Amino acid sequence: MSPFDSLSLKVHKDAVAGWVLSFQAHPRSKSDLGNGQFYGFHGSRSSQFPSKDNAIFIQNGSHLASTYCALAILKIVGYNLSNIDSASMLTSMRSLQQSDGSFMPIHIGAERDLRFLYCAAAICFMLNNWNGMDREKAKEYILNCQSYDGGFGLTPGSESHGGAAYCAIASLRLMGFIGDDCLSNASALSSKANIQSLLDWSLQRQVADGGIQGRPNKASDTCYAFWIGATMGTLGANKFIDERGLRSFLLTCQSEYGGFGKFPKELPDLYHSYYGLAAFSILGEAGLKPLCLELGLTEGAATGL
Amino acid sequence: MASLSSEGEDWRAWVPLSSRPEFAAVTPLPQDDGPSPVVAIAYRDDFRETMDYFRSLYSSRELSPRSLLLTSLAISFNPANYTVWHFRRQVLEALDADLNDELEFTERVAKGNAKNYQLWHHRRWVAEKLGSDAACGELEFTGKIFCLDAKNYHAWSHRQWVLHALGVWENELDYCTQLLEEDIFNNSAWNQRYFVITKSPLLGGLKAMRDSEVDYAIEAIGTNPENESPWRYLRGLYNDENDGWLNDARVPCACLRVLKAKRNLKFALSTLLDLVCLGFKPNQEIRDAITSLRTSHSGEVGSDSDLAKSICSILGHEDPMRANYWTWRSGRLPQAAEV
Repeated sequence: MSPFDSLSLKVHKDAVAGWVLSFQAHPRSKSDLGNGQFYGFHGSRSSQFPSKDNAIFIQNGSHLASTYCALAILKIVGYNLSNIDSASMLTSMRSLQQSDGSFMPIHIGAERDLRFLYCAAAICFMLNNWNGMDREKAKEYILNCQSYDGGFGLTPGSESHGGAAYCAIASLRLMGFIGDDCLSNASALSSKANIQSLLDWSLQRQVADGGIQGRPNKASDTCYAFWIGATMGTLGANKFIDERGLRSFLLTCQSEYGGFGKFPKELPDLYHSYYGLAAFSILGEAGLKPLCLELGLTEGAATGL
Repeated sequence: MASLSSEGEDWRAWVPLSSRPEFAAVTPLPQDDGPSPVVAIAYRDDFRETMDYFRSLYSSRELSPRSLLLTSLAISFNPANYTVWHFRRQVLEALDADLNDELEFTERVAKGNAKNYQLWHHRRWVAEKLGSDAACGELEFTGKIFCLDAKNYHAWSHRQWVLHALGVWENELDYCTQLLEEDIFNNSAWNQRYFVITKSPLLGGLKAMRDSEVDYAIEAIGTNPENESPWRYLRGLYNDENDGWLNDARVPCACLRVLKAKRNLKFALSTLLDLVCLGFKPNQEIRDAITSLRTSHSGEVGSDSDLAKSICSILGHEDPMRANYWTWRSGRLPQAAEV
């Protein structure tokens, strides 16, 4: 039985969908759409406030990351995304994209890096509508994030990092810039991403204890089994990972209480539990459903079948 | 204006906001979780009360000293609440607050939350407003963070932004050298070094720096050939310059020294493989060193494609975790690796 299915056993899917939809920010009128605000989903009631009809100050705290999560949750519970008013969301999302191709997650301002570009790409992909972003500009920013060592940093010039590698490659895949035959043609990208050096860098992230580190000379950590594992999987290269070694490392991170922690003997948390399980799915663990790697969902949830 | 932040409160002595005179006449606004919340959070009473008061002042857009105090409290409960941080910035602007006090505030928050995105964004916002006067303080601040965690990703991003936006490059290369003396395995410091030599307006750019940096990397390799960082750095010095890479005799020489020591071979071998794949013709000494490492004793290494295949084969043994990868590489050696 897939852990991704347990939700349907315990919680009514319609209730989840209704609750998620209640976080959507809606423009008051069409003229609002040009005001620079992003009309997506709030992450929680702590950033969503009751709106007063004649209020000058409409607090719109909707955010790219919570929008990605909202759409992903809706797909997991089988909600038909074509029922969403996505036009406002996508049109307004464009104003979050910066001149260098990167994305700000919220119109009031925040840090900008590859994570939010990934969220934007995933949102467009799930809604099957690329009006929300300029893909070419986004690709340019991704390529500028490739470091001298072949890995990707979260921003241009930043240190190569497993999480950034995932955001970069998954985004390129979602946007249609990486095909299935990426490995056989290392310059499958008609531009400057050096796939061969990314491959070499990524594979060296698996260390002596079998686990995977996020950066050279750092400790291995459960979640990078997904960040790097999924990056390799997207490129068709997960056959190069030492699966037995990784599996045995992950098992040492499994808690006696269930779930996974970051390191062996650490207490479990939701984040590492999810990524630990996701990594096991990539490793082909019996009883776990296969994943759509670039969306971070099961294939079933991703395709709606 | 005196700092009104009081986030050093002792939680055991929590005085409800409803009892505090400065919040008299503020009507708290409860969170509306709706009829059937999913994964409802069991908020602690002091958290709930703080956020109820925050919601009230936020909704009425009160940009006052007591709002500033409230954001300090709310941040101490949940420093990841970006709505609170944003409101704090609006309050600071409206009050024309002393932003040097604000730098101190962020430093206090950083103590338990050095990996918090919102904190670092706020720090950047403050520094940007203060301008180049703040530059040295920002280098000092990130330096303090590095004393506790020399690889804090946020701090390195912030430091790169400071250098780029506020222009204080003078001592940065020396700073990298110092960090690498403390820990030659610090990949963040190697990355910063690359950033400095390529971007600093004081150093002349990569081409001008390449020669001395090759020596620097090779020296680090000599001391710790198992250290991935200087190998990647060395290769990176010649990115997009294959001719230079192929013709710098120091590189195969450094590889050979490692091979002769017969320990920690994998990066030396993969560097040689990379060179051979680009058309490098190794000398007899290197060929002999490869031969002596070969596990299958089928005679001397002949053509270059034999050499490249030999290196892949040795790598399969020296780097067994990636045996499949080295086999795959062996099967797709480019034309340049042929005689």
